[in-house]
Amino acid sequence: MSENQKKILEMLANKKISVDEAYRLLSALKSEAPAPPDSTAGPQTTAKPKAKYLHVHVHGRGRKDDEHDQHDEDAEDDEEDDEDDDEDDDEDDDEDDERAEVVNIRVPVSLIRSGMKFSSLLPAEARDKVTSALSEKGVNLDMRNMKPEDVEELIAALGDLEVNVVSDKEVVRVFAE
Amino acid sequence: MKRPPVLMRLRIREKERGFGLWLPLFLLLPLLLLLLIVLSPLIVIAIVILRRRRRLDRLSPTARASIDILCSPRGIRATFGVLCSTPGLHIEVRNNEERVYVSVI
Repeated sequence: MSENQKKILEMLANKKISVDEAYRLLSALKSEAPAPPDSTAGPQTTAKPKAKYLHVHVHGRGRKDDEHDQHDEDAEDDEEDDEDDDEDDDEDDDEDDERAEVVNIRVPVSLIRSGMKFSSLLPAEARDKVTSALSEKGVNLDMRNMKPEDVEELIAALGDLEVNVVSDKEVVRVFAE
Repeated sequence: MKRPPVLMRLRIREKERGFGLWLPLFLLLPLLLLLLIVLSPLIVIAIVILRRRRRLDRLSPTARASIDILCSPRGIRATFGVLCSTPGLHIEVRNNEERVYVSVI
């Protein structure tokens, strides 16, 4: 049993995560595990395309994704004047009267990479504070021990990331594409 | 190839009021660079004075980090790297009445 599997099981035992989440994490670990050595296997041919953007969507439950995506496209491509834009928005608002707050963030993966490199310039005190703040939230990420290889590994793993949290009021989606 | 951002689109709407801005970063960044070059001798003099008076260590970690970033080639490179990675950044937060939209192109 690997260290990560032990951690997941410990989190499950401590009721920090649900059974479903534990199953998903274990499955993800299983798929990430290196294939057994095989002399006939050549270089990896089915390489996944690298993720370019990390998306974070938070919106009220019951709202159609199509509408949301359409709105995103409108927001990005629309180069009309602002009056027209406001009219569009008003129409959207009418459609979703009971819509909660919507948060839609798209972060380029290269920005994450640059940000992680930038963090190496932080003074030791600030890094310690960040590390302790993260550990308070249950994230055991020691920034002092982060190496460039670790950052690359982390970013490569982002491609498989997909988080869907559905509650009574909100739907949260985090994914990379 | 890394390139700095060209435009930033900013839109803020509050109930019935709102405004939108297209910020031409390709014009603003050279001005900012020029300002930094003009101010750099003053920054260097300030650091020298602070060092002589042994007050640099008394500064807050944030201030020291800012000085380190501004005055080291590594820091300048990292800052430029972050700046060049921003194209594609898209942030939108809205509810029925208000909306904040930032997009870097």
